[in-house]
Amino acid sequence: MSAQRKRTFQIEAFKHRVVVDPKYAEKTWKILEHAIHEIYNCNASGLSFEELYRNAYNMVLHKFGEKLYSGLVTTMTYHLKEISKSIESAQGELFLEELNKKWADHNKALQMIRDILMYMDRTFIPSTHKTPVHDLGLNLWSDVVIHSSKSQARLLDTLLELVHRERDGEVINRGLMRNIIKMLMDLGSSVYQDDFEKHFLHDSADFYHLESQQFIESCDCGDYLKKAEGRLNEEMERVSHYLDARSEAKITNVVEKEMIENHMHILVHMENSGLVNMLVHDKYEDLGRMYNLFHRVPAGLAIVREVMTLYVRDTGKQLVTDPERLRDPVDFVQRLLDLKDKFNKIISLAFNNDKTFQNALNSSFEYFINLNARSPEFISLFVDDKLRRGLRVVGEEDVEVVLVKVMMLFRYLQEKDVFEKYYKQHLAKRLLSGKTVSDDAERSLLVKLKTECGYQFTSKLEGMFTDMKTSEDTVQGFYACDAVELGDSPVLAVQVLTTGSWPSQPSATCNLPAEILGVCEKFRGYYLGTHTGRRLSWQTNMGTADLKATFGKGQKHELNVSTYQMCVLMLFNNTDRLTCKEIEQATQIPISDLKRCLQSLACVKGKNVLRKEPMSKDIADGDTFFFNDKFTSKLFKVKIGTVVAQRESEPENLETRQRVEEDRKPQIEAAIVRIMKSRRTLDHNNIVAEVTTQLQSRFLPNPVIIKKRIESLIEREFLERDKLDRKLYRYLA
Amino acid sequence: MTKEDTVKLISAEGFEFVIDKEAAMVSQTIHNMLTSPGSFAETEHGEVTFPEISTTILEKICQYFYWHLQFASGKETEFTIEPELTLELMMAANYLHT
Repeated sequence: MSAQRKRTFQIEAFKHRVVVDPKYAEKTWKILEHAIHEIYNCNASGLSFEELYRNAYNMVLHKFGEKLYSGLVTTMTYHLKEISKSIESAQGELFLEELNKKWADHNKALQMIRDILMYMDRTFIPSTHKTPVHDLGLNLWSDVVIHSSKSQARLLDTLLELVHRERDGEVINRGLMRNIIKMLMDLGSSVYQDDFEKHFLHDSADFYHLESQQFIESCDCGDYLKKAEGRLNEEMERVSHYLDARSEAKITNVVEKEMIENHMHILVHMENSGLVNMLVHDKYEDLGRMYNLFHRVPAGLAIVREVMTLYVRDTGKQLVTDPERLRDPVDFVQRLLDLKDKFNKIISLAFNNDKTFQNALNSSFEYFINLNARSPEFISLFVDDKLRRGLRVVGEEDVEVVLVKVMMLFRYLQEKDVFEKYYKQHLAKRLLSGKTVSDDAERSLLVKLKTECGYQFTSKLEGMFTDMKTSEDTVQGFYACDAVELGDSPVLAVQVLTTGSWPSQPSATCNLPAEILGVCEKFRGYYLGTHTGRRLSWQTNMGTADLKATFGKGQKHELNVSTYQMCVLMLFNNTDRLTCKEIEQATQIPISDLKRCLQSLACVKGKNVLRKEPMSKDIADGDTFFFNDKFTSKLFKVKIGTVVAQRESEPENLETRQRVEEDRKPQIEAAIVRIMKSRRTLDHNNIVAEVTTQLQSRFLPNPVIIKKRIESLIEREFLERDKLDRKLYRYLA
Repeated sequence: MTKEDTVKLISAEGFEFVIDKEAAMVSQTIHNMLTSPGSFAETEHGEVTFPEISTTILEKICQYFYWHLQFASGKETEFTIEPELTLELMMAANYLHT
C-alpha cells in the first residue's frame, strides 16, 4: 500500500520538473515583466497578486532566481530612465512638484513589486548577498533620477534658491520642501549629506558671511545682536520644519561662526554701542542677548568677561584715586557700594548669574580697593557714619542690608588689620560719647566680623562692650553705696576702660576744676575698695560734660561739651576775660588740643559761647577770650563737641600706619616660629610662602620684612642657618 | 462575521473557504497581498485563488490558521498532521510563508 503511494508521489514530482524547461522560465518572466510595466503605468488594478506571486515563487524555486533578479533590474532601470526624462523636461517651478509626484509613485510601485517578489527577497537574495528589492529600488532611483547629469545640479540649485527666497522673507511651499528633503534622507544619509547638506551649509556660510558684513556696517551693536538672534531662531525653525534634525547643530554652528565669532571683537568694542556702553547704561536686555549669543561661541564669553573686568577695574581705579572723592570718605564708600550693586544686578539679570563673571567682578574689586591704602580707614568711617546717624534716617532693616554690603567690601581688603585699628578707634569714640544709635546694629556687625575673621579679631571689641556694661553697674553701685557722701557734688558718670581693649591714647595732663576733682577722688576710693590691685587714671581727652550756663539776659542753656572745654569754661566762673596763655597755664591742657577746643567754643557760628579778640579763625597765643553774654540759641540744650570721628590728617595717618607695621612684626615672627617648629628645616622661599598663606586673612606681608624678621630670630637664636646651604633654616629648640 | 473582515480562499478544485481576515493574515503572503498599496484584483473582490493548492491541503491550512491564533492567545490545543499530507503541506506552507 505505502509503496504504491510512494510511486504515485514520485510520478507527480517528476511531472513537475519536466514541465519546467527554459521556455517556462521565459514565459513566466514575460508575465512578470508585463506586470511590472503595468504597475509602473499605474495600471495594476486588473492583476492578480496570487498569480504573480506564484510565478515568481516558481521561478526562484526552480533555480531561475538570477534571471528574475537581473530582469527586475533591467526593467526598473528602463522605467526610471523614462521617469527621469519626464522630470527633466518639467519647466521651472514644476520641476520639484514633478519630482515629488514621481517619487511617490515610485515608492508605491516599489512596494507592490516587493510584495510580489517577497519569496525571492526571503530566500534567493540572502543566499546570494544581493541587494534586497526595496534597497535596490532606492539605489536605482538615486542613480538614475537624482544623479542624472541634468537633474542633480538643478535639484540642488532649486532647493538652495527656495531657501534663499525664504530667508529674504518670501513664503515658500514648505510641505513640498519637506517631502523632497525626506526623499533625500530616505535614499540614505550619505545621499542627503553629499547632495544637499554639504552644499547647503557651504552656501549658508557664504550668505551669512555677506549679510553679517552688511549688518556690521549699518547697525549698532544692539541691533546687530537682535538681527543675529533672529537669524539663528529662523534657521532652527527651518530645520524643525523641513530639514533633518541632525542638521540643526551644523547650521547653527555656521550661523554662530559667521555672524558672531567672526565679528566678536568688533561688536564688543564698537564705539558708542559696544559692551562698555551697554554696561554704563544698564541695558539689561541687550546684555542678556549678547551673553546668550556669545555663550554659543568658543571663547565668546571670555572676551565679554575680559572687557567687563577691564571696565570695572578702570572705573574702580578712577574712583579710588580721584582726589575729589577722597575728601569725603562716606561718599567714597557709598560710590563703591553703588558700583558693586550695579554690577551685581547686571550679572544676575543679564548674565544668568554666571559664576565666572562673579569671580571676575570680585577679583577686580579686590584689585582696585587695595590700590588706595586708606580704603580700610574709609570703610570704617562709613560704618561709623551709618551707626551714628543712619538709623534715624533709614529704618533698622536697611541698616542691616547696608552692613552686609559693607562686609562684602571688607572681604576685599588685603589689610584687614588696618581696618581693625581704625574700627577700634571709631567704636571707642562712639561708645564713649554715647552716640551709637543702636546697640543691636553694633553687635550685629561684630558678629559678622567674627564669622569672617575669627574670634581673635573681635575679642577686644567685645571687651569694649563688656566694659561699658560693667561701668554702668559700677556707677550704680557707687551711688547706692551709703559709705560715700556726695552732697552737692556734680553727678558723675564713669566708664571704666580696660587698658588692653581700648585704643591706647597717651594720657594728657589736665587740671580738673575743684568740684570735679572732689567727686572723682571719691569714686576712685570706692572703686579701689572693691577691686584691689588695679590702677585708675582719668582719660581727660575722652570725656564729656553737661554744664548749666546763664547768659546776659538771663537765658539758661544746658551746654554739652568735652572735658577740656568744661575746664576752660569753668575758669570763666571766676573771671570774665582770659588770654590763651593764661588758659593754658591754668588747665595744663596740651596746646594743640587746647587750640582746637577754643576754636570750637569761640569760632563756630551759633555755638560761640566765648568771644574772641581778634575775631580770626586761628588761635594765637596772645588772643583774649571773653564770656559771651550775648550768646543765643533756639534750643535749650546746645551741643558743642569736638569728638566726632573724622578722617585723619596726614601726620595722624602716618602715625597709625607705623603702629600697624609695629604690630605686624610680632605676628610675622609668631608665624615663622610656628611653621619652623612643625617643619624643623625649611628653605627660604617656602617659609615666605607659608607665612604669607597663614597671615593673608589679616594682611599681606612684605617678603622683605619677613626676611628681616628671620634675621632677627636668628640673632635671638630661635633659628639657625644651615652651614652648607645658605638658604636653608633650622629650628633651634 | 461581516463581509468586511472575511476573505475567501479558493482551492484548485474550486472549493471556497471563507475565513476571518485575521486568520488569513497568519500567512505572510496573504498578509502582504491584502495590505499591498496597489489595487490588485484580490483586494478588490476579497478573494484569493490558489490554482496549485488542492482542497484537502487548503482545508488543513485554514485549520492551522485558527490553531495558530488559539495558540498565540494562550490556549494549547492540538494540531494533527496526517503523514501523507506532509510533503504537500510543507510546499504550500513554504509558498504561503507560514
